[in-house]
Amino acid sequence: MAVPIIFKTIEESGLSTWIRDSPSIFAYWFILSLHAIGMGLLVGASVVIDLRILGVAKDLPLAPMKGLYNVIWLGFWIQLASGTLLLIAYPTKALTNPDFYLKLTLIGLAVAFMQMLKNRVFNDSSLAESAMMLKGRALATWSLVFWTGAVTAGRLLAYTYNYLKYDYRG
Amino acid sequence: MNPAHLHLLLNHSPIIGTIVALGLFVMALMRDQDELKQASLALFVLIALVAVPAFMSGYAAQDAIKDLPDVSMAMIQTHQGTALLALLLMEVTGAAALAGLWRFGRTARKEDKPWMSSPARMNLYAVLLLAMATVGLMAVTGTTGGDIRHPEIMSGPATSSIIGTLGERIIPAFQYVVVDYSMWVWPILEDLHFLGLILLLGSILALNLRILGFLKQLPVAPLQRFIPWGIAGFILNIITGFLFFMGMPGFYIVNVVFQVKMLTIMIAGTNLLLFYCTSAFQTLEVVGPGEDAPRFAKFIAVSAIVLWIAVIVLGRYIPYGEVT
Repeated sequence: MAVPIIFKTIEESGLSTWIRDSPSIFAYWFILSLHAIGMGLLVGASVVIDLRILGVAKDLPLAPMKGLYNVIWLGFWIQLASGTLLLIAYPTKALTNPDFYLKLTLIGLAVAFMQMLKNRVFNDSSLAESAMMLKGRALATWSLVFWTGAVTAGRLLAYTYNYLKYDYRG
Repeated sequence: MNPAHLHLLLNHSPIIGTIVALGLFVMALMRDQDELKQASLALFVLIALVAVPAFMSGYAAQDAIKDLPDVSMAMIQTHQGTALLALLLMEVTGAAALAGLWRFGRTARKEDKPWMSSPARMNLYAVLLLAMATVGLMAVTGTTGGDIRHPEIMSGPATSSIIGTLGERIIPAFQYVVVDYSMWVWPILEDLHFLGLILLLGSILALNLRILGFLKQLPVAPLQRFIPWGIAGFILNIITGFLFFMGMPGFYIVNVVFQVKMLTIMIAGTNLLLFYCTSAFQTLEVVGPGEDAPRFAKFIAVSAIVLWIAVIVLGRYIPYGEVT
């Protein structure tokens, strides 16, 4: 399969080269750190909501936990920004690896399920707490499955790529 | 100071510390004093933390002396192996002590003594038995370590003990499983390390953001129920992280970023154990929906969030700190 030439153009751009090759502590490792923190916020807050729906900390009133969606969205935007920069640094590495598309799909599903949980459970003020838990049960379980899959697929990107750069097989 | 100095500085504390903590604990059990029980349980947990750098810095001490004329590599290996066994048992003891502390934190307020119900008493006796076994292994570790640089104290030729022989084999076995057995072991450990991070950070954030006044409609007390999930993540990360170290000790021990990460974990971990798992948390249990947490709790909450995020960042910078 031919690798699109546009990947090479991106890799030769100033921003891509800087992120990848600069010895500055604010280049590659800094962006990677942001990507790890964003993951902790996005997935960590989602997992706390899911666990509560599934019955952990039952004494905790469920409705005000909706506030954790702010943490989820903060994490999401950090991930989108830092992930885009990492993609600019290594477009060939990511986009020639099927695992990368698997990761994006799983993230899409996980975020969609968290949003469904918000719309159907948290935004429905007619529901009593036990009804919220019952209605959210399947959504919370699937969200945990998708998040675990997304994190695993993301972590394995470092070990499954075919090309590191455009003319450089890994 | 280099990591070899650190070994000399720390290596007596797990040995002496376990003996002291065991003595205190026995006294507390005999007199049935709950404060003393809590204090000795906390001491076991702290020793379990200090034992980690004491063990890791041993690799640097080994590098510093291995080429000296009258130093025997076989003796070093025996010492390392027994040290590993002692460390593992110390960590199990620390985990059992932590479980005991958690019970105190949850139940000490009640009038009667529910923590002396049989499962809790079992927990305390488990700590007692584990600690006695640990003291034995620590003693062997200290003796075999002393023999390396103080041959004058040896009585007669070195005798091989069962523990010594086992110890000699266990370190190469770890290395084989983590690095050589399959190329997938390391990535799987990395994945588990990230999942542990999520559990830890998620539960720390939920509780501490509430203490700081976000999510203010939540009462504080039930949020503490997420802390065991965070601790489960923490323990998962201690296990997987320790396996990384055992796979490539030479890479990690001289890496300054790794050293600072370990130090930060010690501080953040102590904070987690002492503040959220003991009766110190009781001052927060009365903070209901819409109420403000006390100022000192907010200070601890900020420091916990900052410290754990620093741990994540330092972890990501470990490759940057590689010594070539």
